[in-house]
Amino acid sequence: MNQTRTASVPIGVSALLRGQTDVIAESISRWNSRQALRQISVIIAGAGMFGAAMGSWRAPEQAGWSAVKLPLIILATAAGNALINGMLAPLLGVGLRLRESFAAVLASFALASTILGAFSPLMLFLVWNLPRPVAGAPVAVAAHSVMLLMLVGLIAFAGVTANVRLLQLLRRMGGGAAPALRLLLAWLTVNLLLGSQLSWIARPFIGRPEEAVRFLDAHALDGNFFEEVARATAELWTHFSH
Amino acid sequence: MNQPPITPLSGPSGPPPASNESRLGDDPGDRESIHGLAGLVEAVLRHPRRVIYQLRHGAPGGLIVPLLVVAVAFVAVYGLIIGSFSGGAQWWAAPVKMAMGTVVTAAICLPSLYIFTCLGGSPARLHEVAGALGGLLTLMTLLLIGFAPVAWLFSQSTESVAMMGFLHLIFWIVAACFGLRFMFVAFRHFGLRTEAGLNVWAMIFLLVSLQMTAALRPILGSADTFFPTDKKFFAAHWMDCLIAHPGSVRK
Repeated sequence: MNQTRTASVPIGVSALLRGQTDVIAESISRWNSRQALRQISVIIAGAGMFGAAMGSWRAPEQAGWSAVKLPLIILATAAGNALINGMLAPLLGVGLRLRESFAAVLASFALASTILGAFSPLMLFLVWNLPRPVAGAPVAVAAHSVMLLMLVGLIAFAGVTANVRLLQLLRRMGGGAAPALRLLLAWLTVNLLLGSQLSWIARPFIGRPEEAVRFLDAHALDGNFFEEVARATAELWTHFSH
Repeated sequence: MNQPPITPLSGPSGPPPASNESRLGDDPGDRESIHGLAGLVEAVLRHPRRVIYQLRHGAPGGLIVPLLVVAVAFVAVYGLIIGSFSGGAQWWAAPVKMAMGTVVTAAICLPSLYIFTCLGGSPARLHEVAGALGGLLTLMTLLLIGFAPVAWLFSQSTESVAMMGFLHLIFWIVAACFGLRFMFVAFRHFGLRTEAGLNVWAMIFLLVSLQMTAALRPILGSADTFFPTDKKFFAAHWMDCLIAHPGSVRK
């Protein structure tokens, strides 16, 4: 068993990465505050490193803010949906208790954070190679859009990977592919809803060149995340078409 | 010691590991120890299974430092050949940049390599993954040394930066392909169930390496500053070189 453990990655995340659902299922059935703390630490470290890497393009101060905000959003999403996620499990035919539901969701978030943390050196390399954020420079606007799309792409990859593993875990714990898939889709929907809005409220993570570095936007509650992705895509398209 | 089952990300339909090869260690030659840096170089070239066996069953991390030292030394020597094209400060700048670029690329790509191998179902530990990456770099740089006489001959007889850049790129691509092949074989022996993630990682590694040529430019040719003063995507940098200096110039 020791062969599957690593010093750098806690057994829960390491086993999730490798799809060792038996180990995870057993770990969740014996889930306690110590394991919760370990998963929270992984989320803080992984998502924090990734947040710092993407914020470093704008300014060192932005790197610090993003390193704090990204793990907070992940933890707030897990905590905010803990009740509804726990209620949905028995309703959709998966016999998980509230504590087990929360542990499973937290484990998948820890996995996504680990993946993001592993990609943070690549993100830093991208930042190193992008033009500096000079206000008004068209190339800086394009660089901001590249950062935003890279952020969305990497978070999507980490999220999809974590959810595929979560589905395998739910199949193992819930007894059946159909109920597990139903529950996963339900969890995804509520987590996406809360997570995307929290992300929008907590912006900026990268920071636009023409705007001051700050912890929260003055108009934090205006617009939404999906509008911003569409705008960034349009900006990039306009830049390259010229 | 019951190992829990490992489920690859793409499901159980992935290719079985090393299905057409004997198990690592079945051949007594696999288990022979590797002595010294010369022995390591020979093993990487002629007996890669011996290196893979040592990475899997030898002392944790035992081969990583020697593999890295050899790779850095070889790539620095190749950098000297590159530097001979322009001479002057490039005699020392090109080897330093080549060595630095190789080490930084490895450091940037190692965490994602570990993640992708785990997702592929491999139980390989971090030091085994680092060892496989070290093997990739060693074989790659060893092949570059093999190409070095040809590269040197061309660098002394042509004035074209574009031509020399193209030649070095071809040599590097050939060397990288062999290095990647070593790493894929190593991970098959490390229990990798599906190679989809590793293929994605190979693309990331190639992209990061190519971008290093722009981030640390000029490696070929010369400039007033050690590092570039503006940022460029590697493809844009190459296009600029072709447009600005279609047939010239070494200085």
